[in-house]
Amino acid sequence: MKGAERIEIDRRYCKGCMLCQYVCQFDVYEQGQERSALDYLMPRPARIENCRVCGLCESHCPDMCLTVVAQMNRKEKR
Amino acid sequence: MGNEACAEAALLAGCRFFAGYPITPATEILEVMSRRLPLVDGLCLQMEDEIAAVVAMVGASWGGAKSMTATSGPGFCLMQEGIGLAVAVEAPCVIVNVQRGGPASGQSTSTAQGDFYQARYGSNGDYSIIVLCPSTAQEMFDHTVKAFNLSERFRVPVIILSDEVVGHIREKVCIPDADQLAFAPRKAPTVPPEEFVPFKPDADGVPFMPAFNTGYRIPVISQAKSLSGNRGNAREADENIRRIVAKIEDHLDEFADVQVYGDPKAETAFVTFGSVCRAARSAVDMGREQGLALRSVEVKTVWPFPDTLVRKALAGAKRIVVMEMNLGMLQREVERVIRQPKIKIELFSKIGGIYPQPQEFLRFLEEKR
Amino acid sequence: MNPLGEKYLRKDFLPFLFCPGCGDGMIVQSFLQAVEDLGCRENLAMTAGIGCSAWIAVYIHADVLKVLHGRAIPAAIGLKATQPSRTVVTFTGDGDCLAIGGNHLLHAARRNIDMTVVVVNNQLYAMTGGQVAPSTKVGSKTQTTPYGNVEKPLDGCKVAAAAGATLVSRWSTAHPRQLIRAFKNALTHKGFAFVEVMSQCPVQTGRYLLGSGSPQFNFQWLKDNCVAVKDTSQRDEVEAQGKIPLGDFLQVEKPEFMEEVRRMNERVKEAKAKGGER
Repeated sequence: MKGAERIEIDRRYCKGCMLCQYVCQFDVYEQGQERSALDYLMPRPARIENCRVCGLCESHCPDMCLTVVAQMNRKEKR
Repeated sequence: MGNEACAEAALLAGCRFFAGYPITPATEILEVMSRRLPLVDGLCLQMEDEIAAVVAMVGASWGGAKSMTATSGPGFCLMQEGIGLAVAVEAPCVIVNVQRGGPASGQSTSTAQGDFYQARYGSNGDYSIIVLCPSTAQEMFDHTVKAFNLSERFRVPVIILSDEVVGHIREKVCIPDADQLAFAPRKAPTVPPEEFVPFKPDADGVPFMPAFNTGYRIPVISQAKSLSGNRGNAREADENIRRIVAKIEDHLDEFADVQVYGDPKAETAFVTFGSVCRAARSAVDMGREQGLALRSVEVKTVWPFPDTLVRKALAGAKRIVVMEMNLGMLQREVERVIRQPKIKIELFSKIGGIYPQPQEFLRFLEEKR
Repeated sequence: MNPLGEKYLRKDFLPFLFCPGCGDGMIVQSFLQAVEDLGCRENLAMTAGIGCSAWIAVYIHADVLKVLHGRAIPAAIGLKATQPSRTVVTFTGDGDCLAIGGNHLLHAARRNIDMTVVVVNNQLYAMTGGQVAPSTKVGSKTQTTPYGNVEKPLDGCKVAAAAGATLVSRWSTAHPRQLIRAFKNALTHKGFAFVEVMSQCPVQTGRYLLGSGSPQFNFQWLKDNCVAVKDTSQRDEVEAQGKIPLGDFLQVEKPEFMEEVRRMNERVKEAKAKGGER
């Protein structure tokens, strides 16, 4: 099963719409306390271990500021 | 025919895209272009309206082609937003307005000169634009070539403000070989795309213009813009607007044209533009036969108004009569330029669609004395 | 910035001027995915009109001409006409395309000129603050229909198809995969392609028409009210329920305008060379 190495949220562009949290099927995100450069409260990938790298959050991000980096060498580990 | 001469000149100048909409008395230009452009791998489109025509022309200009449209009064009204667009995105193009009577549908088959101010001020906001006024079929040809050159030189729409008489007159036109004419090239970028700043002006205020799909990936927006092409802040918008005005006004000497027919020292002077120049010339000739010294000052480039040249051409005149087919539009400009307490700028105005006779000019001089 | 954004966006123009949760950014992304998959960036020539959706094109680092309200289609025709090898795409909104630019839509579709028109439908005029649009439902209260809209809405897809468009699709921002596929179909289709995208506008549509300005609510509204259909009978059914049918409604091959022009020009030149008129 695929997993995420990390989830990058570009604080220059995030507007805190929280659609990433809304579309996520695996409850990865929660509302964070950090503010973006545009002064919006940003989401926080609090439960990254749940991520299956389905890409829904990335493809639904209206500001294209979210990147899910998949774990590498997963196959080798298996 | 004047309209045909215009189309011939456009083809010779390298016009390869024409978009128009039928309207009397400008339709012949569209007709000739639809017949001729396919032969030179160009495209003539009859659009759904004049708005589409003028905007398609702007698109084609950014597409890399020399492009043109032609219309008359009501169509010219519809084109105003597109003219403003061409100014804002600095797209070289040529717009022919073969004037007819107005307002609204007015008199479709009759001549008039009522679009004098509309040609200059028709679109919204501050801008400057070049307007040429031919008075013969030959000038329809010459001014069209000049219009293409000026539009490329300054990246501005150039308007040919003709009228029904000039558009429809049939007279001899001398068409030179293409190699005898000079054609201004489009100002292509001198730096590679990664160094290119889309709206950074050259020393003369005119930026370089890459055609679309040549690797420059240029953003062209109709808003007041920054040098990079984005929406400008107050300072950038200010600079942008001042520049697109100054790039024309600062170079007026390059293209302003005012001619004097008759006795340049005559105390009585007509001031005319467009087709009325013809009747005025006849009046000058008839006056000479009667021992009356007259000069006719012909304003060929009406916008930006050539203040200095008009003042020079009218130097020493004691009586100034503006002859025009509207209720006093050129008159207002002459009044602005000639401010002498003893000289009243008189107006001979003929509207309703009948072209004035030279005898009427002479009678006017007699009666209003 | 995600990798697609890194590759394709005009960095110095960011951030997007879109409000938080706006569908326009999602359309940028779906469109760029289609461009990436097809590798057609260098041929891309975009035009746009006025409105929030028009800015979609401006952020994409490719040649773009953003013109006047409603006039994006004629500008696109000018670009296509001067170099038919261009992949011409127009971004418009529902007001831009169906109201002020309606006439241009009809005639471009009629010509079947090879271009793609993307209509972002948020059911009202958003940039000006939430006024009624040709796509607004009857009864809706907007800033200019304070007593409820009494005008019937216009179905852009049906209009385009009736006028002669040869590809017609409608998807929503809640269906990015289908949307990317529709964009790819449209970009490779030889002829006039019309892609309508139902998009959420939390700030105007949400607040005034749907009852909530929350991005999540508006996104869910699209999911609940847009129904993918397979055929026309299903389409009518969905419409009868007051919902919005989505789907790839039409794709046919018909003679394309610039191709026809090229043939005509060749024929005319050949005849001319032989001394005939036509």
